[in-house]
Amino acid sequence: MTFTKTVALFLAIALVACGPFSKPPTRETIEVRGTPYERGLAHGTQLRSKVRSFYTTLLTNSLFPYLSREQPDIVSFLPEYGAERFQNGNFAYELFLDSAKNIERSLNRATREELQGVADGAGMTYDQILVLNTFFDSVLAVRGVALAIRLARAPLLKSVEFVGAATDGVDNDNDGQIDESGEGRFEPYIPELYGLAVELAPAAAIRLVLTEVDGVDPATVRIFLDNQLYTSESPEMVITELSGTDLEVTLTPSTPLANALTTTLVIGAGDKKLISAPLPVRASFMRDEEIAFTTRGAGVNRRDVRRPPLTDGRTRPPPIAIGVRGSMTAGGKSFIAHHFSLLDANTAHKHTVAIRHVPESGPAFVTVGWAGIVYGLSGMSERGVGYACDPADSLDNSVVGSVLEQVADISKAKLLAKGLPIGFLGRRILEQSTDAVSAREVIASAEKVYGWTCVLGDSKGGLEAIEVDSDIFNDGSKGVFNLSTTELDATGRRYASTSDDDFVLGSNYVKNVPDIASLLVAGQRIVPQRQWSGFFYRSRRAVDGAKGRLEAGKGTIDVEFLQNLISDPQFVDSSDSMNAVVLDFENLQVRSAMGQVPATAGPFEVTEVKP
Amino acid sequence: MKRVIMLVTSLTASLALAMETQVLPQSTFTFDFAYLSTSLDKQWSGDGKALPLVEESRRYEPGAGLQGILRPRPQAQLDVLLIQALYGITDRLTAAVYVPIVLNSRVNTNISWEEGDYQSQLGRKYSEDDFWGWASSLGQPRVPEQWQAGVRLADIILGGRYLLPENEWMSKNHFRWAATLQVALPTGTNFDPEAAVSVGTNLWELHAAGDVEAHVSADKHFFVDEYGVYRINIGADLFYSFFRPREYTAGRGTVNPLLNNNAFFVGDKYIVDGGDWIGGTISVDAVPFLGPTRASIVSGGNLEKANALPGMLTLTVSYTRVQTFQSDWQSQSPLWDYDREKFWQPGVKNIVKATATVSLLRVGVPVQIYARYQSGDLLPGAYTRPANVFTAGVRLVAKFW
Repeated sequence: MTFTKTVALFLAIALVACGPFSKPPTRETIEVRGTPYERGLAHGTQLRSKVRSFYTTLLTNSLFPYLSREQPDIVSFLPEYGAERFQNGNFAYELFLDSAKNIERSLNRATREELQGVADGAGMTYDQILVLNTFFDSVLAVRGVALAIRLARAPLLKSVEFVGAATDGVDNDNDGQIDESGEGRFEPYIPELYGLAVELAPAAAIRLVLTEVDGVDPATVRIFLDNQLYTSESPEMVITELSGTDLEVTLTPSTPLANALTTTLVIGAGDKKLISAPLPVRASFMRDEEIAFTTRGAGVNRRDVRRPPLTDGRTRPPPIAIGVRGSMTAGGKSFIAHHFSLLDANTAHKHTVAIRHVPESGPAFVTVGWAGIVYGLSGMSERGVGYACDPADSLDNSVVGSVLEQVADISKAKLLAKGLPIGFLGRRILEQSTDAVSAREVIASAEKVYGWTCVLGDSKGGLEAIEVDSDIFNDGSKGVFNLSTTELDATGRRYASTSDDDFVLGSNYVKNVPDIASLLVAGQRIVPQRQWSGFFYRSRRAVDGAKGRLEAGKGTIDVEFLQNLISDPQFVDSSDSMNAVVLDFENLQVRSAMGQVPATAGPFEVTEVKP
Repeated sequence: MKRVIMLVTSLTASLALAMETQVLPQSTFTFDFAYLSTSLDKQWSGDGKALPLVEESRRYEPGAGLQGILRPRPQAQLDVLLIQALYGITDRLTAAVYVPIVLNSRVNTNISWEEGDYQSQLGRKYSEDDFWGWASSLGQPRVPEQWQAGVRLADIILGGRYLLPENEWMSKNHFRWAATLQVALPTGTNFDPEAAVSVGTNLWELHAAGDVEAHVSADKHFFVDEYGVYRINIGADLFYSFFRPREYTAGRGTVNPLLNNNAFFVGDKYIVDGGDWIGGTISVDAVPFLGPTRASIVSGGNLEKANALPGMLTLTVSYTRVQTFQSDWQSQSPLWDYDREKFWQPGVKNIVKATATVSLLRVGVPVQIYARYQSGDLLPGAYTRPANVFTAGVRLVAKFW
């Protein structure tokens, strides 16, 4: 062999040895056809590795261990969870399996067959796929119970007083009276959907009372107002311990607020008792309470106060759904836009999928979701019916209901979800509904596992919205609160619209208020959504922001406008954004951005609903 | 945190012979004992930027945003004893066996923490201690600041070099060429799939040499005296390294449930086809000092033969460029595979070595001692991990019949 030939041989080998290298897609689009089992099997087979990795990385490696941290708290309330079966890291899986089995009773045969198909295709057990398909509602319900238990031992904002409001010659609470006794003082403090007070003196002091049985730690008090942070070290803040439980905080900003200002007062504090198990060591911290108000010259009523963006670096936008039609849009078209955020855990975005179902009978439809889950939190059918749903924290949920049913023997009580998860209701909408009204009825007529808000639309211009909970006290509502764009609340404001042709819903109730009466169950405090949900204030803020944008774009809104709107950082949770969807009813197209975090960091891609 | 695994680009099979084409005289043995101290603290990106060996790990609280970012900057240190035995079967064919023994492996993880989102349930952002406290409540122990392992055998290499026949022009111009074939035996170990930090000792993990390597080498002597001893030699070597696919066991999270639990979707076993290499070396040997020469047992009492022995001091510098091919992880999860393959794309190693060899053969002592420094990061590479290696060795030459 000559030297030249040797070199040539080496080069030839080098060229042959360079293999292709490409990133597998983090978003997939698949089409499944046939019977429910066949469609499930195709889903599980085509996405086998993703179904398995989604289950492992989201549930086994993330959610199950995370929720196992709640076990000590839950055992203190429900001793059954101290049993052997729930030990050795099995707490969360066993808990969710119990709930999944309970939910399974509400699933029809076709759904169960589809789940079996997914399990067979992915090489997993039916139980695992069942847990994967019920965890959204179950986790939210259990997390809600755990959060309520946790917040019950955290400081509570007992009262808020805008000092001098009772003598300022202004009707600060829009009750039609000026400077009546107690004006400007709010005790007990009840979180408000809109503004708490208006037309306040810019230099007025604000006095708060916080309370907790273990005492409020003065060093943890934190107030954020008009882009200014005040702590216990700040000279503007005077802190007085009124008793072993009550702490008074008086804030007098060194420079008066601006006139005609709409702003938010944010209050946070922890108690004096440190918790060391499970780690890390921490006090029990209250939810950041956010109070919106205006100063002299703003000229708006409490009901019209819109929460401005908050820049304290501690808040993230919630999921949001927007429906528009008619006068709001260019050409009178109908759209639903949805940015869904909940938990990415650095894994959900790698497992996104748009699935076009082509059943043997009935319309084709598209769901936007995740590998192994047979539904999405949004979707559209060939009949031109679509939906988008977001969680609305509520203790009026089936898990709390199950505890109440077992309260006679709390030692044996368990947290059991019951009813139909919202995603399965979404599937039923796509399979059965012919318009937005019938879609709403699908949700209204079912037993719900958890609290949700949904916007529903159709290609004929139908636009509906609904808030639901589990109605565990049978209060006559059946847990159904239909919204219309024209309906006004007691203060004369539209519930969730800026016009007759739009809905803006976040992750809080606007009509189902209060969603549950305050009461004590086995020593645990049960309170309405607005008093505990971590979504409440951020949802109000996001909704207010979106309403402003819709009003500015009225008559010109189109697909591009909506894509830009739900991609705006004001509405994007940079850590837990899961997907962003625009349903184009006229063209029967589902436009989705997903496969990265945040979802809108990538392009919107079109999935045709028609096969 | 992502599991911290080192693939230590470090040990290079250190041929006991100077020049690219050197072979032993018939019936001659050489025993070489070398100590290698190898250190590694970076990997090259595709565009030649130095990156930490392990990717940052973003940790999330389910539904509560970013807890923070763990940024490991591991530094790995391996101490290796390389024992080499070579035998001249004929004057043109030499056989060799290389036995690398990893005496000690240490990895300092050097993990730093960047705070993430505010956590309302804590009333603060997670500090690093908060995070590990949280992790411990989920059964995940803190990643140790240092990992250490003791004596372990690496893959043993068998080799043979054949000095190819020279034609008249080659002989006249002091040009020679040789072919070398090396084959590794799978005596090394894989990393521990359950450990947060672990280093294996197989050739792929050491990134030292291929499982099978074929070399074609050439040397050209300059300033050759009447005994055939050169003052300058320029050598070149072209080689192809083949890596066999290796089977690994996936982690089940028995020790590190949050870091190493992937068998369910990766599969119990997976294959790593590391990608072959093609490379070349250019070297220059200079002999500034021939030294005194005397007839001795080494030269069979023959002064003329003693004069043909290597000079007393040889200085060598070399540059090696290795082109690595695309790696291929083969598990049940293409996404998981990709997250590993992206760090082992077709890449480049640039290795510069300087060696000083003192040979006492001319004065009748059958010993050579040498020291070498190999720099892997003097010149940036791509998608590889540059190790710096200091070597000190002693070489005994013996002829028993």
